[in-house]
Amino acid sequence: MMLRRSALAGLMAAAFSAAPALAQQKVEVQFWHALSGVLGERVDEIVKRFNVSQDKYTVVATYKGNYDEVINATIAAYRAKKAPQIVQIYERGFMSMLLSGAIVPVQDLLTEKKKDVDFGDFIKPVASYYQYKGKLMSMPFNSSTPILFYNRAQFEKAGFKEPADTWGELEKQLYTIKQKGAAECGSSLAGDYFWSLMENYSTVNDQPWGTKSNGYDGLDTQFVYNKTRLVGQVTRLQKWVNDGVIQIAGQGLSPEQLFTSGKCATFFASTAAHGGIEKAKDLPWSATYLPHEADLTAHNSSIGGATLWVMKGHRAEEYDGVAAFLAFIASPDLQLWWHKVTGYVPITNKAYQLAKAEGYYKQSPTREIAILQLNRGTPTANSQGFHFGNYTQTTFALREEMESVFANKKTPQQGLDDAVRRGNEILRQFEKLNAGKY
Amino acid sequence: MQGSTSVSALGARHASGASSSAAAEREPGARKGARAAGGTAGLKRAHYREARLPLLLLLPQLLVLLLFFFIPAIRALAQAFVLTDPFGNSVQFVWFDNFRALLTSPEYQSSVWVTIWFTLAQNAITLAIAMVLAFATDRVVRARGLYRSVILLPYAIAPVIAGILWAFLFNPSVGPIAFLLKGMGIAWDPIRSGFDAFLLVTFAASWKHICYDYIFLVAALLAVPPSLVEAAAVDGAGPLLRFFRIGLPMISPTIFFLLAMNFVYGFFETFAIIDAVTKGGPGGATMILVYKVYLDGFVHIDLGSSAAQSVLMMIFALVLTMVQFRYVERNVNYDV
Repeated sequence: MMLRRSALAGLMAAAFSAAPALAQQKVEVQFWHALSGVLGERVDEIVKRFNVSQDKYTVVATYKGNYDEVINATIAAYRAKKAPQIVQIYERGFMSMLLSGAIVPVQDLLTEKKKDVDFGDFIKPVASYYQYKGKLMSMPFNSSTPILFYNRAQFEKAGFKEPADTWGELEKQLYTIKQKGAAECGSSLAGDYFWSLMENYSTVNDQPWGTKSNGYDGLDTQFVYNKTRLVGQVTRLQKWVNDGVIQIAGQGLSPEQLFTSGKCATFFASTAAHGGIEKAKDLPWSATYLPHEADLTAHNSSIGGATLWVMKGHRAEEYDGVAAFLAFIASPDLQLWWHKVTGYVPITNKAYQLAKAEGYYKQSPTREIAILQLNRGTPTANSQGFHFGNYTQTTFALREEMESVFANKKTPQQGLDDAVRRGNEILRQFEKLNAGKY
Repeated sequence: MQGSTSVSALGARHASGASSSAAAEREPGARKGARAAGGTAGLKRAHYREARLPLLLLLPQLLVLLLFFFIPAIRALAQAFVLTDPFGNSVQFVWFDNFRALLTSPEYQSSVWVTIWFTLAQNAITLAIAMVLAFATDRVVRARGLYRSVILLPYAIAPVIAGILWAFLFNPSVGPIAFLLKGMGIAWDPIRSGFDAFLLVTFAASWKHICYDYIFLVAALLAVPPSLVEAAAVDGAGPLLRFFRIGLPMISPTIFFLLAMNFVYGFFETFAIIDAVTKGGPGGATMILVYKVYLDGFVHIDLGSSAAQSVLMMIFALVLTMVQFRYVERNVNYDV
C-alpha cells in the first residue's frame, strides 16, 4: 500500500515537472471532436502525425461525446470563456454556428495566415454546403453521402442482376424479393432515413426543401417539402413499412445488423457504413447509386457529416497553430489516407485523383460511388445543401411526424404538412433572433 | 436524498397534522385558539432560547437548497422570458411568448396528457403490485428474507440498464418476450405503435419502482400491532378481510406517502428509462414533460422554451402535490 502510494506520487511529480517544460516550448491547441471507437483512433492518429510533423504546436484532441454533446459542451465552454480553439460540429449546426458571433471564418483565417489551401478544389457539394458568400466558413472534415448497399446473392436469387436505378423499378424488385422469399425484407430503414431517403431524395431529384434556395438566400425561408414529389416518396415508404418490405430496427438494434445478417436485401446508408459492412462475414454485398424518379434527371446527392469550426477569443500564436493544423488536414495526402481508413469521401478533387491514380477504386470500386454521385452535374439551388436555422430541431419535428406516418396515425400529406408547420415556426424563431445578421 | 427529506417532511406533517386537524374536526370553533396556543407553547421555544444555534444547524440544508434549487429555479424563471441564441450573444426579452408558444402547441398539450396518463398508470400498477407482494411476503414464514431480497433486486439496477433490458426483451425483431407475445397472436410493435410503446415504458418504469414501494409497505405492515390482527383472526376474519379492514387502514399514511413519491418518480426520475427505451417516440407517444425539457434544452438548444417548460412543470408538480395533500390526505388515518 505504502509502496504503491509513493510510486504514484513519484509518477505524478514526474508528470507535473514534465508538463511545464513542454508548455514553454509549444503552443497548445485544443480540439474537441465527436468521433469514438475506431474513428476516434483515426483522429488521434491525425493529431499525432501533425504533432510529430512540426515542433511549434501541440494539438490536443478530446472526445466530448456525440455531436449533440460536443455542441453543448462548446456552448457551455464559450459562455464560461473557456472554449477550445477547434470544435467539430455536424452539418445541421451550420447556421447556428455561422450566426453565433462566436466563430472565426476558416477561409479568412487561412488566407490571413497565408496557408497554401486551394479553396477552389473542394468537391462542390461539400464546398457549397459550408460556404457563405462564396467563402468556406468551417473546414470540411468528415463528409459522407448516402448510397445504396445491396445483397448480391438475394438479388440474383430473385432473378435480378442488380438494383434498378429508378424508384418505381426498384420497388417492384424489392416486392419480388420478399414474395420469392429471397430475403425476409426488402430493406432496412437506417436511423438517419430523413437524410438518406428524404433530403437526398429531394437533392437527387432536384426538388426544393425550402424557399429562398433552401435557405441560402435569406432567413425568411419556408419549408415547402409538403408540396413536392417528396409526398410520393413518403407514401411509398409508408406502403413499404405496412407491407413489411422495409423494416424499422428500433431501439436496441442497429439497422445495419438487419442488412449484414442477411435479413434485409438492401440498406440505404451513408458511405461511411462501408467499415461495418466490409467486416460482415460471408455477406455477398455490393453498392450502387441512390435511385431517382424515372421522369426526372438525377442530380448530385447531398452531404452529411461534420466540419471543424474555429472559435473566437484566442491568442494570435494559437491561431497560427490552428491554421497550420487545418491546412494539414486539407492536404491531399492526409485526405487520401482518411478516405481509405474511414470510408468518408475525400473532400478535395486532388485527393480523389490521387486515390484514382494509385488504383484504389480498382480494388474497392464501391468506395468511388459516393464521390461520383456527389460530383454528378452542377449543384442546383435545390441540391447545393440546406441552410436552415435550428436545423436539428426542425428535423426532429419531421422525424416525429414521420413516426406518426409509419404508424398510420397520419397520412403522408398530413404528416408532412404538420412537419412543415412546426418547422416553419422554428424557422421564424431563428429569423427573429438573427434578424439582419445573414 | 430526495427520499430522506420527504420522509422527514412527512414525519413533521404526521405530527402536526394529527394534532391540529383532529382537534379542528372535533371542535371547529376552537381552531384559531388551538393554532395560536400551539405556536407559543411548542417544543422549539423551550429548547432554543436564541436564534443563532437553530439557524446554524439549518445552514447546511439551506445552502444545499440555495445552490441546487433556488438559484437554478430563479435562473430558469429569468430564462423563460427571453429568446436567446445558444451562445448567449443575442438575447431578446419576449414577455410571455415562450409560454404562449408552448400552451398553443399541440405537441406540448399532447406531452402533458402523456405525462398525466403515464404517472397515473405507473402509480396504480406500482402500488397495486407492491401491495400484493408486501401482503404476500408478510404471510410467508420460511425464507422470507430471500423473497424480500429478490423483490428488491430491481432497485439496484441503474435506470438506463433497466431501460435497455426492457427495450431489448420487447424488441419486435429480436426480443424473446416480443416473440412470445407474437406466438400468442398479439400484434406487438412498440416501434411503430405509440400505444405499445406507452405500455412498454409504463411497465418498465413501474417494474423499476415496485421495490421502492414494497420496502415501505413491508415496514408499515410490520408495524401493524399483531394483537389486532390476531383478535380479528379469533373473531373469524380471513386473511383478505383482515388486510382490508385492519392492515390497509393502518398503513394508509404510508400509502399516501408512496402516492406522492410515485408521482415525483413518474414526473422526474423516469427520464433514463424513456431515453433508453423510446426516446419519446414514436411520434411523441412517450414524450413525457421532463424528457421534452431535456430534448428542447440540451439537444435542440432552445433555452427559452426549455426554461419555460421547466417553470410550467414546476407549477404542475406543485399543484398536483397540493391537491394530493388537500384531498387525498382527508381520507388518511394517522391515528395509529
